[in-house]
Amino acid sequence: MGSNLRTYIARRLLLVIPTLIGVTLLIFAVTQLFDPVQRASLYIRDPKNLRAIDEVIRKYGLDQPFYIQYFSWLSQLLEGNLGWSQSLHMRVIDALVTRAPATIELAMYAAPLTIILGIRLGKLSAVKKDTWVDHFTRAFAIIGWSLPAFWLGIVLLAFFYGGLGIFSPGRLSPWAEALIRSGEFKVYTGLYTIDSILNLNAAVFLDALSHLVLPVTTLTIIDVALIMRIMRSSMLEQLGKTYIIAARARGLDEKTVVDKHATKNALIPVITISGLLTAGMLSGMVITETIFEFKGVGYFAAHAATQLDIPAVLGFALLTGIIFVIANLIVDLLYAYVDPRIRLG
Amino acid sequence: MNSMLDNAEKLRVKDLIVRFYTYEGIVKAVEKANLNLIKGETLGIVGETGSGKSVTALTIMALTPPPGKVEGGSILFQRATGEVVDILKLNEAVLLKIRGKEISMIFQEPNAALDPLYTVGDQIAEALLTHRRAEMLEAARELEAVESRGLWKILKNIPYFRERFKEKLLKKAAHKEIIELLRLMEIPDPERIINAYPHELSGGMQQRIVIAIALACSPAVLLADEPTTNLDVTVQAQILDLIRRLKERFKTSVIYITHDMGVIAELSDRVAVMYAGNVVEVAPTREIFKNPLHPYTKALLDSIPRPGSPFKSIPGIVPNLVNPPSGCRFHPRCSYVMDRCIEGTPPLIEVSKGHYVACFLHGGA
Amino acid sequence: MRLIDSESPRIKELKFIWKRLRSSPLSLAGLAIIIFFTLIAIFAPVLAPPRGGRDPYMMPRFGFSPTPRPPSPEAIFGTTEGQYDLYYGIIWGTRTAYRIGLLVVLASALVGIVIGSIAGYYKGVIDEVLMRITDIFLAFPSLILAMAFVVAFGRSLDSVTLALIIVSWPSYARLIRGEVLKVTAEDFVEAAKAVGCSDFRVIVKHVLPNTIFPLLVMASLDIGSIVLTAAALSFLGLGAPTGYSDWGQIISLSRNWITGAPGNPFAYWHTYIIPGVFLFLFVMGWNLLGDALRDALDPMMRRR
Repeated sequence: MGSNLRTYIARRLLLVIPTLIGVTLLIFAVTQLFDPVQRASLYIRDPKNLRAIDEVIRKYGLDQPFYIQYFSWLSQLLEGNLGWSQSLHMRVIDALVTRAPATIELAMYAAPLTIILGIRLGKLSAVKKDTWVDHFTRAFAIIGWSLPAFWLGIVLLAFFYGGLGIFSPGRLSPWAEALIRSGEFKVYTGLYTIDSILNLNAAVFLDALSHLVLPVTTLTIIDVALIMRIMRSSMLEQLGKTYIIAARARGLDEKTVVDKHATKNALIPVITISGLLTAGMLSGMVITETIFEFKGVGYFAAHAATQLDIPAVLGFALLTGIIFVIANLIVDLLYAYVDPRIRLG
Repeated sequence: MNSMLDNAEKLRVKDLIVRFYTYEGIVKAVEKANLNLIKGETLGIVGETGSGKSVTALTIMALTPPPGKVEGGSILFQRATGEVVDILKLNEAVLLKIRGKEISMIFQEPNAALDPLYTVGDQIAEALLTHRRAEMLEAARELEAVESRGLWKILKNIPYFRERFKEKLLKKAAHKEIIELLRLMEIPDPERIINAYPHELSGGMQQRIVIAIALACSPAVLLADEPTTNLDVTVQAQILDLIRRLKERFKTSVIYITHDMGVIAELSDRVAVMYAGNVVEVAPTREIFKNPLHPYTKALLDSIPRPGSPFKSIPGIVPNLVNPPSGCRFHPRCSYVMDRCIEGTPPLIEVSKGHYVACFLHGGA
Repeated sequence: MRLIDSESPRIKELKFIWKRLRSSPLSLAGLAIIIFFTLIAIFAPVLAPPRGGRDPYMMPRFGFSPTPRPPSPEAIFGTTEGQYDLYYGIIWGTRTAYRIGLLVVLASALVGIVIGSIAGYYKGVIDEVLMRITDIFLAFPSLILAMAFVVAFGRSLDSVTLALIIVSWPSYARLIRGEVLKVTAEDFVEAAKAVGCSDFRVIVKHVLPNTIFPLLVMASLDIGSIVLTAAALSFLGLGAPTGYSDWGQIISLSRNWITGAPGNPFAYWHTYIIPGVFLFLFVMGWNLLGDALRDALDPMMRRR
């Protein structure tokens, strides 16, 4: 029985390779929209240094047929060379790495909150189908899902920061930022809510947390509908199944039938969506981080895009593609853990 | 009103009306159906798909599937205490004590009737721990001395772990009982099967598990809703045989729902024939085969394939239950149709001892 | 409970869908919103007459001062940064939204139909290759992939439209493929093939009509999300140029004014609330309709 699981995992891991090749090919295809000179400029640090262009073209083989170029591009990629970001004046890979903690911190709060809230609301809506609770929850979901993220961010900012003077944009207040830069505050992870706990500094913790409130709220309101509707329809589907009737016929009370049986089965499709949602949150991050000046990779990407900083945007797109592939992998492995039909073949 | 059960009767369905509120309209699935179940007998309910037999069975457990609603009638049931109750008037708390304990059900698709995410042992344990909790707790207490060793000795004093420990003991106590049950179901290697997930078992094995769950608490009434329809022929025979033997052992009265007259002949003491939501004929099995009175019953018997004689199907189709035919619902397909069949509904009347029929050919005012 | 009927199944289906749509207040609200915006788009030249000789999509200005002015009889929604007339921008912005939404949905549905039918009809290697390609497109969040293409094509509304088509077609291809696989398994398609209909004819006459309803649901939900993504790209400064009647672009003009004036934090509320509400309502109208259509078409829900 264990060998089935091993085969499943091995097959699933192998499947990652062609997908990753596809993802890199697509990004590479975008670079092919440019001529060699433009492509060379993606690697050039000093725009005034025109003599370097020929050298770069030769070095990276930019005048070679596309498949050769792909492999040289790919080998650069594997060395971590995603090109030079003109808008930030640093290597794209360095920009992504230094900005990752902010985005991870945002996702760390927004994703679980969205998923848990979505599951709870979806379940509630399904169990109370066609009552006012259901109508209210569904209306809330449709509204959330129709709200433009950037506009919701602006309205929240205008109300709380502009109107009430709380929840300012940015990741930290100026004093906290100064403290961190002073060296007295040790940065372990770059996630300020965690670092402040490790530094035993409650003031910084609360400050970091208060800066997370609005961006996390925005991301949650926008995305919760997705989880909710999947959970609702999955729950309704399960509640209509024979094993639920059988469980009731066994004399189980409604709470056990719903919580132990229907919910557990209904959660299976929610796992997929949750994985994709977490990865897809990068999309929302571009907008949210921009509005709230929360300087993570999304902020960086949006900023780079307005400067037409092509290597930066492509590097970011590639990163999201890879994260998506990995999220999918994790989801499928989780399936095996949850569903004995996969685990045991 | 409540105690209108004969001494020999265990259950009586009286003038039951069930309707489904769908977007296509109101489906009149069961219309004034009458049935009774004698203690210790097997009552066969026979009818085509959509005749309302499954809905009737589920309604006996007060589990009418949505969007169905019971719109009239009563279901009188004699509880283990001897008290006679109307199931349709009971509150949920009492129903929970009846379902699975006094009345159980087995299903057409055993695969669908088991939760894929729990082992079969877990699912049998559910029934045991719901209805025989006191007994299981007793057994668990006996196990406590043996099991409380090592870490548990300390942990069981902490409230949270105390609960975990209790759960563990209960599971252990149930385990013995489950193995016993699986043996009774003639399941080979029960120690292995108890930890299997439903998808790892064949249809026949799954059905044995479903029967084990149903009989775990020795119910007085077992509702069997076409339990062999989706199984291989050889497995069918085994399951039928098993049900017959278990019925004797557990002293259970059985309502056996099927569309298969052959199964009826083999298994049941009496037969109720349903057509389009009505019970049209009730009689002892031998009487039904020897002397069918209702034209539908006759047609049904004629449609049993027999070697050497041509296959005869019943002309016409099962009626649309949103707009059912007026009067006797069988009249558009009946070769003996009269004017009064279109105008009025024939009542179910006793024409000879124990033989009831709802047809104007055989009386009825 | 089999029902007998004499009508053709598709007419019956349509009647049924209409009946369900009519009975749900949410879908009627969605329909009303869509009609409202459609009328605005059609009558834009009447509601907000453009001044002669100018690109009608460029918003007229009441001066050049940066500070927005509140609603007044002259400009009923007020002006935003740079004295652009918000009312004019919102009216013509409806046309912009429709243009992008419909264009992208039609084009990507068309591409999706072609690719999806080929994959589903011919199956085998062709199917495998085409589906792997769509998988790759679907491996990116659409906003981010669209952003990459817009940056590559250069900043403009046309780039945004093209980029959105590039990222939207794969979902249609996948949907159509699934439907085609389902339909081709049925007898009437086999029969059509047997009497010698050409592949093209079988696909167009027999297979595609059966995919129309799921396609409609998807298209309806997609118009909302495409307009939303386009607005986000414009908001980031990647789409419409400054002064163009585009809701996303108009909202981005309000970004410097959200904290209001000293002592009056909501002094410039109109610059973000008004265009935002229009964008939100437009998207919600289509989402409500799409959601109701999906429910009406969901075979599982039908029984309940």
